[in-house]
Amino acid sequence: MDMSILRTEKLQAGYEQHTVFQDLDFSVKEGKITTIIGPNGCGKSTLLKTMGRILKQKAGNVFLYNQDLRSLATREIAKKLTLLPQNPVGPNELTVEELVAYGRFPHLNQGQKSAIADQKAIEWAMDITKTISFRQRELGSLSGGERQKVWLAMALAQETAILLLDEPTTYLDMVHQLEVLKIVQQLNRQRQCTIVMVLHDINHAARFSHEIVAMKEGHIVALGSPQEMITPEVLKQVFCIDARVMLDPRDGVPVCFSYDNLQTEKETIGGEA
Amino acid sequence: MLKYSQERFVGIMLTALGLIVAAIYISLSYGIFDLTFAEVVKTLFSQGNGEYDVLIYQFRLPRIVIAGLVGVGLGVAGAVLQGVSRNGLADPGILGINAGAGLAIVVFMFFYQGKLAGSDWFSILAMPFFGLIGGLAASILVYLLSWKNGRLDSQRFLLTGIALGSGFAALSLYITLKMDPTDFHTATVWSVGSLFHANWQYSISILPWFLFLLPIIFWKAHILDLFQLEESSVKSLGVSVGREQVILLLCSTGLVSACVSVSGSIGFVGLIVPHLAKSLTGIRHQQMIPLCAMLGMLLVIVADFIAKNIFAPAEIATGTIISLIGVPYFIYLLFRSKA
Repeated sequence: MDMSILRTEKLQAGYEQHTVFQDLDFSVKEGKITTIIGPNGCGKSTLLKTMGRILKQKAGNVFLYNQDLRSLATREIAKKLTLLPQNPVGPNELTVEELVAYGRFPHLNQGQKSAIADQKAIEWAMDITKTISFRQRELGSLSGGERQKVWLAMALAQETAILLLDEPTTYLDMVHQLEVLKIVQQLNRQRQCTIVMVLHDINHAARFSHEIVAMKEGHIVALGSPQEMITPEVLKQVFCIDARVMLDPRDGVPVCFSYDNLQTEKETIGGEA
Repeated sequence: MLKYSQERFVGIMLTALGLIVAAIYISLSYGIFDLTFAEVVKTLFSQGNGEYDVLIYQFRLPRIVIAGLVGVGLGVAGAVLQGVSRNGLADPGILGINAGAGLAIVVFMFFYQGKLAGSDWFSILAMPFFGLIGGLAASILVYLLSWKNGRLDSQRFLLTGIALGSGFAALSLYITLKMDPTDFHTATVWSVGSLFHANWQYSISILPWFLFLLPIIFWKAHILDLFQLEESSVKSLGVSVGREQVILLLCSTGLVSACVSVSGSIGFVGLIVPHLAKSLTGIRHQQMIPLCAMLGMLLVIVADFIAKNIFAPAEIATGTIISLIGVPYFIYLLFRSKA
């Protein structure tokens, strides 16, 4: 087995009786940004949550630095890996700085030296997310975009090598979406953070990831570089759409500029009964 | 930040302390027999040779001390339970912990008939233990029945508590009906929450629980802050959610059971006090929990004073007075939480 930062082996997970996926083998590339794409209900979020031990697997293993996740104390895991859930909520009265400081929880109680390290990490997290200018404001008074950056700052204050982000751009306007993804990119470049995120926007996936993983009905159907993945063939296989893709003349990144339904075509041709 | 500063917190705590001292003074001096300020002070500092020693040391003071302790216990337990269940309507009474502890104590009374009024040490020290067994059984049952999809479901937590609480109360009633008339009377007065039997032994019997459990709760206060986030965020921060919930639940159950064993089932303190504390000092548990202790103490001392004196020489149960305040407040909270 290769030495992998985060890897699943014959993983099975789901909710109550419902199994979302089984026998899933997946290995995260260290120091890279990996984006999971796929239709709703394909198991992207479930995979992310199981890798982040938020959801308990039904069978199989998750290995963090080749150690079984279940054999590690949850607090030790929190020093290496963090997960930002979809639409996190917190008390409205909490100030930005207080919420970001929560991110230091796994590092608490380690003496005087750590108090300085804690403050440094908090300042850094607020700085990189550009939330430092409104550090005293309460969560309830922030816009959706500001709030998402504050949550990201909390996750960053944990100072983990791995970040799992579950749809970090959902419900944000296009400027804030871009801002969040730029922060992610900056983290990867400056701190060599390993990032795994779930995105719905395939153009964002293409532009900001090193590797794209496509899931469908609980299986990984394809994975590779954006150039390999954002193609009419793959998108047809994953989303059942007829996508039109071209390369951005400026940087060669594939862009899906329009798409249509496959079924309608079939119907006009005559299809199956 | 300015709204809930450290200075403000200190100010609120000092105000609460001042009110508590005033309430204690009033409770000591007014009653069937009124004392002057000088007489109260003289008795308190005369070390056992003043005229009013019996009145103050045997009747009024032990009762105030018990009222204070019970207030602290219920107020803090309420804050912890609301934090753990993430539900602002949680309260030891509503969650059936009172009823569970009550049932165990009624069972104990039943098998220890006729010895209730006595001040024999075994029965006095054993009561909190029986209360604890009943309270623990109730909270463990509620906790287990509230698990859904591997996590604590806060809606279920409340509903299971209400259902089990009614069940335990019905069983207690059934057992009290089988008691002899004197015990029956004691048991009924006790079940609505009365401090009529307050004495020094009671205080001493519950004090160890407070000394052991309160520090754990204060130490865990920052975990309660984190519990205000979603479960997935809390887990991601490296908190063993299940384990911390159990520890906090056990601590608050211990406090509640100790209180129930000496005062009977006084409801609503654990509901009103945390809300009041939150509106005064904000949502940080490091500040809120000590304030809950102060406000709980104040509320129960004042309520007990009213209960003793409003229809003197007849006495109504302390729990009744608090319910009279608590029920409208509870309804108010329900309406506000809908809005």
